[in-house]
Amino acid sequence: MSCFIAGLGVLAPGLNSGSHALRVLRGDEPYVRLDARIPMVAGLAANEMRRCPTTARYALDVGQQALAEAGWEAPRVATVFSSGSGDLEILDKNCRALIQEPIAVSPILFHNSVHNAVAGYWGIAMGSRAPSTSLSVYEDSFAAGLLEALMMASLGSPCLLVVYDTLPPAALAPVRKVTAPFAVALAVCQERPAKACTRIDWAWGPRDSEELVLDRPALEALRTSNPAARSLPLLQAMARRQAARVVLPYLAEGQLLLDVCPLPAGAATD
Amino acid sequence: MGPPRLKIAHYTLVSALGRGLNETFATLYSGRSGLQAYTTVGGLVCDVGRVSGVEDVGIPQSLSRYGCRNNLLAALALETDGFAGTVSELVQKVGAHRIGVVVGTSTSGIAVTEAAYRDPFFGNSGVLPVSFPYRETHNVFSCADFTRRYLGLTGPAFVISTACSSSAKAFATAARLIHSGICRAVVVGGVDSLCDTTLYGFQSLGLLSRTRTQPFGAGRDGISIGEAAGFAILAAPGVLEEAYGMMLAGIGDSADAYHMTAPHPQGLGAWEAMSAALAAAHRAPRDLDYIHLHGTGTIHNDAAEDLAILKLGCQETPVSSTKGATGHTLGAAGACAVAIVGLAMSEGFIPGTVNTEVRDPALQSALVLEGHRATVRCALINTFGFGGSNCSLVLEACP
Repeated sequence: MSCFIAGLGVLAPGLNSGSHALRVLRGDEPYVRLDARIPMVAGLAANEMRRCPTTARYALDVGQQALAEAGWEAPRVATVFSSGSGDLEILDKNCRALIQEPIAVSPILFHNSVHNAVAGYWGIAMGSRAPSTSLSVYEDSFAAGLLEALMMASLGSPCLLVVYDTLPPAALAPVRKVTAPFAVALAVCQERPAKACTRIDWAWGPRDSEELVLDRPALEALRTSNPAARSLPLLQAMARRQAARVVLPYLAEGQLLLDVCPLPAGAATD
Repeated sequence: MGPPRLKIAHYTLVSALGRGLNETFATLYSGRSGLQAYTTVGGLVCDVGRVSGVEDVGIPQSLSRYGCRNNLLAALALETDGFAGTVSELVQKVGAHRIGVVVGTSTSGIAVTEAAYRDPFFGNSGVLPVSFPYRETHNVFSCADFTRRYLGLTGPAFVISTACSSSAKAFATAARLIHSGICRAVVVGGVDSLCDTTLYGFQSLGLLSRTRTQPFGAGRDGISIGEAAGFAILAAPGVLEEAYGMMLAGIGDSADAYHMTAPHPQGLGAWEAMSAALAAAHRAPRDLDYIHLHGTGTIHNDAAEDLAILKLGCQETPVSSTKGATGHTLGAAGACAVAIVGLAMSEGFIPGTVNTEVRDPALQSALVLEGHRATVRCALINTFGFGGSNCSLVLEACP
C-alpha cells in the first residue's frame, strides 16, 4: 500500500524543526546536541495554557509544524497520538499526593494524567472534533503510531501522526530509560500532494530484516534515547532525496517495512 | 460504500456482575447490582464494582514479572468462556502472526507503582528500585503485551488509551488491521482495575458518587468505579463463521474540542460519534432497537448524552445504563458494553438501569428502568472519555 508524507514536525535536542532536522540528516548542517528549544503552542486560552503539560506542549508544537507544511485545516484532520510512557512527571506528582496525609490529588493533574490528555489539548487548541486515537507500544510506539496512521490514510482519512516522549522524573529514571525528549509529527495521506512530498510503500510482516541504524554516533545515540526518535532512519531517508528502504522493528516478531521515495513538486502520480 | 461488516466471533466478560457470560446474564437479568462497599488503604469509603478472586489467578512462570492485578484480571477473562481455547484453534487455522491484539486501558497496572511509592525503599531513596517491573506492569502497553504473550500471538499489538472510550476505540484499530489485510483476526479487549489514582482523582473532580451511582436518575451525584476485563475476537469474513456472536456494523468517533473533563453541554461530540457510527453502518436512527448508554451517573455527562440522543432523533428508542450494576469500568467500558449487548441480542433482553429508581424528569430519552424481554437486532453503544474522546459502535445480530 502507498501513502504520502505531506508535512513534518520535529522537536528534540539539537533539532529545532522538521526542516532543520532534514538539513542535519542530509548532512547540510552538523548535528550539535543542544538542549531542545522551548515548545511553542498556539491556540490555547490562558487557563488551558497554564494547565497544558510538557508532553502536550511538545506534541502541539510538532503537530502544528507538520500541519502548516501540509497546508491542511486542523478541524478536518484525524489524529493519531502515540507515546511510550505518557507523562511520567504527572504520574510522579499524583503518586506522591497519594502517600501524603491528607490525600489530595490535584483535579488538573488527574485529568492531565490520562494518556489521551495530549489529544484533548490538541482538539481544544485546534478546534478539531475530527476522529482521534491515542496509543502506545512502549519502545516501538513510533512504528505503532505510523502503522495506525498509514492504515487510516490508506482507508481514506488523511491524518496527522504525533509521537512523543519526554524525560522521566528522577524517581522513575531507574526504571524508564528515556534520556532525551523527542517529538515528531507526520502528515500522512493517500492522495499525492501537489507540492514536494515523500511516497511510502508500506507493509507489515514478520521480522526478517535488520533494524536500520544511523552512521553518525551522535544521531544514533539520539535514536536510541527515546521511542519517538526511532523515526530518525525514516527522516534520514526523507532527507536524502533518493529511494531507500527503512525497517522499523515492531515488537520482537514483527516489522514495518517502508520503501521511501522522495518526490518533487507538481509531477503527476505514477 | 463503507468497509464490510466484521464478525465479533467470540466474547467474554469478567466484572462485578460475575465471571463469564452466564453469570453476567444471570446477574443482569435479576436486576442486582454488583457494587459493594470498599475502603482504600488511605481510608476513602465508596461503592465499587470489584472482581473477587483476582489475587488467586495463576499465570505461567515465564510471565511472572507481568503479575499485577490488571494483568491477572486479563488472565481471568482469557480463561473464561473458553476464550483462550478458541484463540488457540484460530492460531492453528490462520497463524499466530495473522492475529493482532488491541487492548484498551486507562490506567493499566498503575496500582503497582502506587504501592511502590508507599514502600520504604522509595521513602528512603526517593527513587524506584531498578528491579521494579515498570514495563511489565504499570506501563500502559503492559496489558496488550501480557495478552499477546499469554495467548502466543505474534501479530501487531497495540494499547489504545483514550480514557473511558479506550476499548471502544480498540475495535476501530482492530477493524483497520483487518480491512488493511494485515490481520485475519484480532483479539480486542478492555482491561481496567481498581487503583487509588482514579478513585481519588474522580473524587477531586467532585465526580465520585457519595452513595452509589444512579445513571440518568433524579438524585444522581456521580460515578461508582468498577473493574473489568472483556475480550472479543473480531474476525475477517470466512474466519470463525461457526462461532456465536454478532456483527460490528459501524464505528463513529469524534472529539469534543471543548473541555478536558466536562462534556460539550449540548452533547455535540457525542451526537457526531453516534451519527458517524450509524452512517458507517448504513443505518438510520429508527433502525436501533436499543442504545447502551455511556450513562456514568454524573449530572453533566448524562444530561449531555440525553441531548445527543434527542438530537439524533432517538427519543423513542429504549436506552439504559448498566453502570449501576458494573460500576464505571473506565477503559474497559466499551468491552463491557459489547458483551452486554451481545447478551441482549442472544437472550432477547434489554437490561435495566440498575440502581436508578426515579429517572431525572429533565431527561427525555426512553430510559429503561426495569430489564425486560425484547428482541434486539441492532444496537448502539456509547463511550465518552476525558479529553472529549467519544466513540460509538453499531452492533447487529448475525443474520
